Amino acid sequence: MKYRTVFRVEKALAVAVEAKALVKTYGNIKALDNLSFNVNQGQIYGLIGPNGAGKTTALRIFSTLILPTSGSVIIFGHDVVHEGAEVRKLISYLPGEAGAYKNLSGYEYLQFMGYFSSKSKEDLDKLVEDASKISGLGERLKDRVKTYSTGMKRRLLLARTLMNKPKLAVLDEPTSGLDVLHAYHVRGIIKQYAKEYGVTVLLSSHNMLEVEHICDTVGLINKGRIVAEGTPAELKREHNAANLEDVFAEVAGLV
Amino acid sequence: MFKGLGRIVIKEVKEMTRDPRILLGMILAPLIIFPLMGIMFSTSSEAVQESLRTMSIGIADFDNGAVAQNLTNFLQYYGNVTLQDMTAPNINEIVVLAQKSNVSAVIIIPEGFSQSIAENRSGTLQVYGVFRGGGIAGSVGFSMVEGLIDTFRQSLTVQTIQQEFPQNPDFVLNPFKVAQGSIVQSKPVTVPPATLFSIVQSQLIGFPLAIFMLIILAMQLAATSVAAEKEEKTLETLMSLPLNRFTLLIGKLAGSTVIAAIGAVATIAGVIYYIGSFTFTGTAQPSLDLGAIGLTPSPLGYLILGISVFVSLLCALAVAIVVSVFAEDVRGAQSLLGFVYTPLVLPIFVLMFADINTLPFALRILMLALPFTHPVLASQAMMLGDYVTPILGIMYVIVFTLVMMYIASRIFATEKILTMRFSLRKKKIAPG
Repeated sequence: MKYRTVFRVEKALAVAVEAKALVKTYGNIKALDNLSFNVNQGQIYGLIGPNGAGKTTALRIFSTLILPTSGSVIIFGHDVVHEGAEVRKLISYLPGEAGAYKNLSGYEYLQFMGYFSSKSKEDLDKLVEDASKISGLGERLKDRVKTYSTGMKRRLLLARTLMNKPKLAVLDEPTSGLDVLHAYHVRGIIKQYAKEYGVTVLLSSHNMLEVEHICDTVGLINKGRIVAEGTPAELKREHNAANLEDVFAEVAGLV
Repeated sequence: MFKGLGRIVIKEVKEMTRDPRILLGMILAPLIIFPLMGIMFSTSSEAVQESLRTMSIGIADFDNGAVAQNLTNFLQYYGNVTLQDMTAPNINEIVVLAQKSNVSAVIIIPEGFSQSIAENRSGTLQVYGVFRGGGIAGSVGFSMVEGLIDTFRQSLTVQTIQQEFPQNPDFVLNPFKVAQGSIVQSKPVTVPPATLFSIVQSQLIGFPLAIFMLIILAMQLAATSVAAEKEEKTLETLMSLPLNRFTLLIGKLAGSTVIAAIGAVATIAGVIYYIGSFTFTGTAQPSLDLGAIGLTPSPLGYLILGISVFVSLLCALAVAIVVSVFAEDVRGAQSLLGFVYTPLVLPIFVLMFADINTLPFALRILMLALPFTHPVLASQAMMLGDYVTPILGIMYVIVFTLVMMYIASRIFATEKILTMRFSLRKKKIAPG
């Protein structure tokens, strides 16, 4: 028992997230099928795959929203199944289709959400100030969320996710539905936070081209399991492909 | 454990009061609609009164005797009625005249009417009400004519009796009087039972109605607040925060309670104004001090009643939250709640009209099993100083609520609150 704990702490120093043999079934549908991968601390890890590959299901398990049917996930030494409350203190989750309270202003939204990860009034003020900067929404933060465009809403939500500099940020399709300008802004912020504050990032995307610019390591996921893993450069070299899309096409047996 | 509870309540209240659907539908609408109904009602009742002030009656006098003359004078000067002469050769022509005019009724005094009365034989007076649709004005007008004729007939009776018993005609009319009283909580009081019943009944109907409004409002709000988190896709984010999920549940219940209370106050204020505007038809209640005859709850009674209402409210909220978990969005939650209202609110209506002890055994058990029966029973028992019934009821509702809260918190603590929707959505997009 003691040995196991020590082992876990040692692992945690290098490995931020350790997913082992994850299986999740919904009735007859197998959303995750023996999914395993590790994310190192300070890394930006991209879970890349087509719609329905199991990305969102995996990220929901990491965020303690749903439980795996079998397998385990250890986040900074804490088990998501048995230590959900501890895990929630370390992570910050941006759901794929998230919304914000439309009758609150952007500013009120940040204040409300920031409260739960702040220790004092000053701390909260600092968080909200940082989030205002990340969002880049300026004066519009005083307006009700329902007046925001899709891009503005997504930037607000990303600012909320990163404001408390979590140990692990779990971002489900952070740039989905955004135009080039908004997407560019969002990617820049993610990179900056990983670098400046040592935030480990686990993100998902179906846009295989954009992840090349942002991820240190990518795991290609298809039908609930990792089919290839490595840095974008490694993967392209190994498969002799021009980009990750071609790599995916090859490993998924599309060509 | 409850870190952030206040924040959640504030957020809930802000969100709800800024939602035009809730602000308009639950707070402003009752404040506007009820007084508006009241104003419309009092305006139309003023119109009725106005039409009575200027009421006209058609009269066809074929008698021309003393009694007929007295009657027309009585109607004109005592009844303040405008008379229109409608003497015509036959009834058909009288009808045509009446129809053309604006009279409420036509009185036909047949030939020999005065003569037969003078000879101590009953005469017959023909009175036709002119029916012009079913408006209140028509019926009130006709009953006023009837009342006037009755008064006139009585004065004739008194005159006749006076001739036979010059000393004491009143005695013949009323050989004895009835002194009415009621027995309340083993004590005699001098209030007629009819008066007592009408006052107590107005309370018996008013109180359950207020509870009914409060419960419906609270359930809608609680269900909406959970369903809206799903619809707006904010629930997942909230669930991934370092926030105790039981706190989240309590926060939602508390937020809904605050808004429901405001809504209930608005509704009651509206209703009071509405009832206050019944200046015309409302028969003036003799002012009666219920406290003096022991028919109001003591401060302890009010406290117990308050607790009873409060636990029922919590119960309603917990039920609503459990229901809303199964809904995908606000609309879905509202329609699911529709199914729950009937069995929960039915007892309130049944108890308005029936005493629970007179119901068949099976129905009585069913009623007692429904939590919302108990605050109504409590309000009735309180008035009679019975504290045992309400306290037993409170205990039952608390147990019921705890079970509901346990179910709700289990759902909140697990992935069910997300996956129930998840599985629904899955079904929709799965190609098969």
